[in-house]
Amino acid sequence: MISLLLLNGGIGARAKTAGPKQFVKINGVPILVYSLKEADEVEAITEIVVNYPAGHLDTVEQLVRDYAIATPVKFVEAGTTRQESVAKLLDAADNDTVMIHESARPLVTAQDFAALANSEHANVGFMREISFTVAPVDPDTQRVTGSLERARLRNVQLPQKFAAADLRKGHEFAIAEGRTFTEDATMCADAGIDVFFIEGDESNLKVTTPGDVRLATHLFRTRGEDDE
Amino acid sequence: MSKTALVTGASKGIGLETVRRLATSDLNITTIVLMARASQDYDDNFAELQKDIPEGVTLVRETVDVGDRDVLIEAIHRVYAQVGRIHYLINNAGYTNPVAIHQVEFDDFERTMAVNVYAPFTLVQELLHLGNKFKVIVNIASTAGINGRAGWLTYSASKAAVINMSEVMRDELKIYGTRVVCLSPGRTATALRRVLAPEEDPTTIMQPQHVAKVIETMLGSTGQYIDQQNVIVRQ
Repeated sequence: MISLLLLNGGIGARAKTAGPKQFVKINGVPILVYSLKEADEVEAITEIVVNYPAGHLDTVEQLVRDYAIATPVKFVEAGTTRQESVAKLLDAADNDTVMIHESARPLVTAQDFAALANSEHANVGFMREISFTVAPVDPDTQRVTGSLERARLRNVQLPQKFAAADLRKGHEFAIAEGRTFTEDATMCADAGIDVFFIEGDESNLKVTTPGDVRLATHLFRTRGEDDE
Repeated sequence: MSKTALVTGASKGIGLETVRRLATSDLNITTIVLMARASQDYDDNFAELQKDIPEGVTLVRETVDVGDRDVLIEAIHRVYAQVGRIHYLINNAGYTNPVAIHQVEFDDFERTMAVNVYAPFTLVQELLHLGNKFKVIVNIASTAGINGRAGWLTYSASKAAVINMSEVMRDELKIYGTRVVCLSPGRTATALRRVLAPEEDPTTIMQPQHVAKVIETMLGSTGQYIDQQNVIVRQ
């Protein structure tokens, strides 16, 4: 039995949308619906804990009702940082195993969630090889400070699965070290916890810009059509 | 796994013939819900139908005016509680009172929209809200919805709405793997056609059984290859 922690509290600064980005529409349907609906089909997910940006609880509750999500859903107000939001979602979760996903990745599938659920590893997430070179730099002086070996780097995607106790340890580590992480796999790894990856799909993109909205809409509309 | 179908306008014409075909199709439909207004036709044809249908198929008779939204919503909830998941929905009920623009009474225009547009919308939306996952939805439009016809303002407008509404449904319900079929029959020998063309000899035009046969095909596996656009059914 798994609790899905569904991040949905970010404000769409980069997507340049009028409202919070989780209400951006992909193919005319609010972006949050895609993740809710796919998770709803996964038997192992027995609880969804979703967060909402302050002032938008009603909208999220209404979406859950309108789309007849059958899995029990809990609603938690978003934190001020992503890390805090995950911690708050984790606190509200009832199961010993959790998955983290974000509504900004609407092309996730029920099979993705199921693949994580069935993984032998307790802590595991989707990651992709990167097709570009990442340079470590000093942003202040604009000096390139060295090199990173691309073959040993991965683009971190979601969803991820964690043992709730391990994820909690990861967050305690971050607080103790006074560090802020942008995601949880590397946080847990830095905390000395074993985390593994499985190969993700390139279509599971994160929607952050208006161009991403168009791309995700196109990918969704043409999913399963191979005649081009 | 056995399937359930719901057919509106099932008391006669295309709806009745569709029920008859589905009862004997190879789609494994074991429950068919019929919706229609109370009428002598409904009573007579239902009694006849009961005699014809094979063993193992249950007909559920729901007497409802789909143009009355409040009553329709109650009926939907009652039916869903009774039969559970509706796999196939055939939105067939239609209404028309063809008059020229100068003679259109607004109440009658509203009645046309209520039966032809709001009823299929309400059936789909209410069932989605109840958590129903459709396999296939068939919306019966009309060739009159592709091109407006003089004297048929309300009917043509309502059927054009059905065609476009179907396109939206097809796109939005893709997340459930639901197929949405829009059929536009041309002249078909129905009671509605008699209202539109009272002078016409009904034996010279397409029969309801022909359209019902196409509906059966569209529900089956062949349908998935030809369901992407409004399908014109014409003799």
